[in-house]
Amino acid sequence: MDSTRQAKYSAIRNAARFLSASAILLGGMALAQQRGGTLTVGLGYDIDTLNVYSTGFLGDVQAAVVEGLVAPNQRAQYVPVLATQVPTTRNGGIKLSPDGKRMTVTYKLRPNVKWSDGQPFTSADVRFTWEAVKNPKFIAESKDGTEDIESIATPDPLTVVVNYKRVAPDFASTLFTFGILPKHTLEGKDLNTDPYNEKPLGTGPFRVKEFRRGQYVVLERNPFYWRKDAKGVQLPYLDGMIFKIIPDSNTLVTQLRSGEVQMAYGVPYSQVQQLDSVPGLKVIKNNVLSWQHLDFNMKNVAAFKDPNVRKAIAYGINKTALSRALGGYPTPINTVVVPVFSYTNPNVPRYDYNPARAQQLLDAAGWKPGPDGIRVKDGQRLSFKVMAQAGRATDEDAQQVIIASLKGIGVELQPDNKSGVAFRDARYKGNYDLFYGGWITSADPTYSVFFGSKGVNNGQGYSSAKIDATLARAESTLDPEDRTAALRQFQVELMNDLPSIPITSNPSMIVVTDKLGGFVPNPTNMTNFVNTSGWFLNK
Amino acid sequence: MTYLLKRLIGAVPLLLGVSLILFGVLHLAPGGPLDVYADNPSVSPEALAQMRTAFGLDQPLPVQYVSWVTAFFQGEWGFSIRTARPVVQEIGERVGPTLLLGGTSFVVSLLIAIPLGVLSAVRKYSAVDYGITFLSFLGVSMPVFWLALMLQLVFAVQWRILPSAGMQTIGSDSLLDIARHLILPAGILAFASVAGWSRYMRSSMVDVLAQDYVRTAKAKGVPERSVVYRHALRNGLIPIITVVALDFATILSGAVITETIFAWPGMGRLFIESMNGRDYPVLMALMMVGSFALIVSNLVADLAYGAADPRIRYE
Repeated sequence: MDSTRQAKYSAIRNAARFLSASAILLGGMALAQQRGGTLTVGLGYDIDTLNVYSTGFLGDVQAAVVEGLVAPNQRAQYVPVLATQVPTTRNGGIKLSPDGKRMTVTYKLRPNVKWSDGQPFTSADVRFTWEAVKNPKFIAESKDGTEDIESIATPDPLTVVVNYKRVAPDFASTLFTFGILPKHTLEGKDLNTDPYNEKPLGTGPFRVKEFRRGQYVVLERNPFYWRKDAKGVQLPYLDGMIFKIIPDSNTLVTQLRSGEVQMAYGVPYSQVQQLDSVPGLKVIKNNVLSWQHLDFNMKNVAAFKDPNVRKAIAYGINKTALSRALGGYPTPINTVVVPVFSYTNPNVPRYDYNPARAQQLLDAAGWKPGPDGIRVKDGQRLSFKVMAQAGRATDEDAQQVIIASLKGIGVELQPDNKSGVAFRDARYKGNYDLFYGGWITSADPTYSVFFGSKGVNNGQGYSSAKIDATLARAESTLDPEDRTAALRQFQVELMNDLPSIPITSNPSMIVVTDKLGGFVPNPTNMTNFVNTSGWFLNK
Repeated sequence: MTYLLKRLIGAVPLLLGVSLILFGVLHLAPGGPLDVYADNPSVSPEALAQMRTAFGLDQPLPVQYVSWVTAFFQGEWGFSIRTARPVVQEIGERVGPTLLLGGTSFVVSLLIAIPLGVLSAVRKYSAVDYGITFLSFLGVSMPVFWLALMLQLVFAVQWRILPSAGMQTIGSDSLLDIARHLILPAGILAFASVAGWSRYMRSSMVDVLAQDYVRTAKAKGVPERSVVYRHALRNGLIPIITVVALDFATILSGAVITETIFAWPGMGRLFIESMNGRDYPVLMALMMVGSFALIVSNLVADLAYGAADPRIRYE
């Protein structure tokens, strides 16, 4: 298991299509792996807490310290970590109740796994994790999935039987994937204030040596780590990792150039090219599970109630020009399901750039060009405010292209950008006419949160009984074919109705030292640091 | 002494008023602390409701204010919503770095600005004066972030003699190491202060040097050097005290831009982080500390006035 994972990681770094040849590559690559060295990573945000369940960020540092039962790999597919296999109905890990309304998930745990303090890891820890996170006194942001579980049985130290109240096909993207909490140090403690939040104890390849707020986190090798490479060498290869907190993206780039940090992700597109030419650095493109979109406010903007206006706007946006304006890195998309997923549907109604068609639709809808070129109907101008996140250069540039593009078909847009909490407030309450932004999802996205009538992230007030029904079907079946069919149908219906125009899928640009080996980017919200044990530094 | 006491007691209602306004303004701004979680699709509405109750955000605003104010003046500053740590601890960790950065740049600025201003005034309309004037206009008008980037490029990327950001090399607590990290941020902060202060110093000195008593002293044959440094300088310093004292208060609030660019773990960055997350308890405490610092430095300015000019007395 470990060796094939290692092989994939090395091979994909060069070119994914050589994956099948990885067995040959492995021989050469394995020789190059060196033990030792410390990798310094630049982080663009101030860490709030190191507890994965209560952080407001994705948890980069935590991913190197704390492990879950399963984790998504570079193709957004779940692979076992502390469990010996990913439970499915086929391998007997998931069993449906006779009435088909409940399910039981059984995990077989990996034997001889130890916490980084040397204590054994057992099924009791898994059960404790559920109880601790579910506890109403624990103020956490990630409690997703806890309420779906009715009870957990631990027949022996290496078996966990989770009884669900409903059929939850997204079970892998919640709770036990984020990380397991150690029962032996946390039982009876207040998780809100426990020192665990500064120095989490995990089973991962590294453990926290020092955390200085606002400055850095130093990780050192976990001597008890369970994983070995193909040749039986104890992992991780690296002696340690340092995460340096550098909130300013210009400074982060400077630190890369001066060699003070050796890795950073999410580097602004405008700065990627100059870094690519710096000796000793290389740029890696990570196709993350995110999509950029332009949303219509379906609640209070009368003009958007006419589907022809929405479609005209879609035809009026030049996605290729937009991608080019951003250095050519974003990929234009036609559906909200990004192409990494197997259930993405290429056969949805498309709205390729076609200003003539857009003009026709607007003419037919009764919007005629006014004296200033902006279309008018019943004395009302086709003019809207468009919101994006202030200070996010990539988004603001894209917004400018959209504004220019739509002016060509007689639609006027004015930027109305906000930052921080004000931005989020407007986004979720729908205080905008048009909204440009992006979403990033887990390996197992639940689309009803965005497009369902009651979706918690649905700020645009979109509601469609058909979409609700299709998504309900997709999100309550364990049959992969049934799920794929429902999700493909959902995409067709959504693109027909067009409450939101999918624009591009924006990759995250990672800049690393060319000495780093064994690294493959992770496209999910589980971060690039979800498997650091196989990383190594060439001397 | 009674004057000092009176001023300090008078500060209490002032701080109360300030806190009421700050609290109101903060809560008028759109959004609340829990909106941060809205970006995460895996946060359930139940979890949000739980948090709202736990932080007392479901209470009416006046109730929230009264409970905050009573707790605050009892020294109980609450917990950060973002990190769940005590606010006192959160701020306590940031005070040191901010004072170090602000204090260094303050002292350096004073040591450079006063002599520069005097020199400029004494050599009025000379090449030296024009040169200093040019540099001060440069310092006042140059954006901090641009200057910072340029210096980082030169010193950290090209020459590699100074670190581009951070407060210390990881694992090293040596003073020399911290001093090396201080050079660029403190230098940039000082540059802007020196530019402003030296202008004030110059114009104040120019005024004083034109006074009758200076002319009299010169006429009596007192040496130039002695006239400038013993007679004029003392009076020339008085107007500067106000300007410098008010700038002193901002030291404690942190230099937001400089701290962010140089990844300096101080109060300014804490403020930005808390502002973006509407972390009310931390924000209120930070702004109260800032207000208190302003009141105290005003008081210090008044006292310094008295020390510099014995004619000024307070009752």
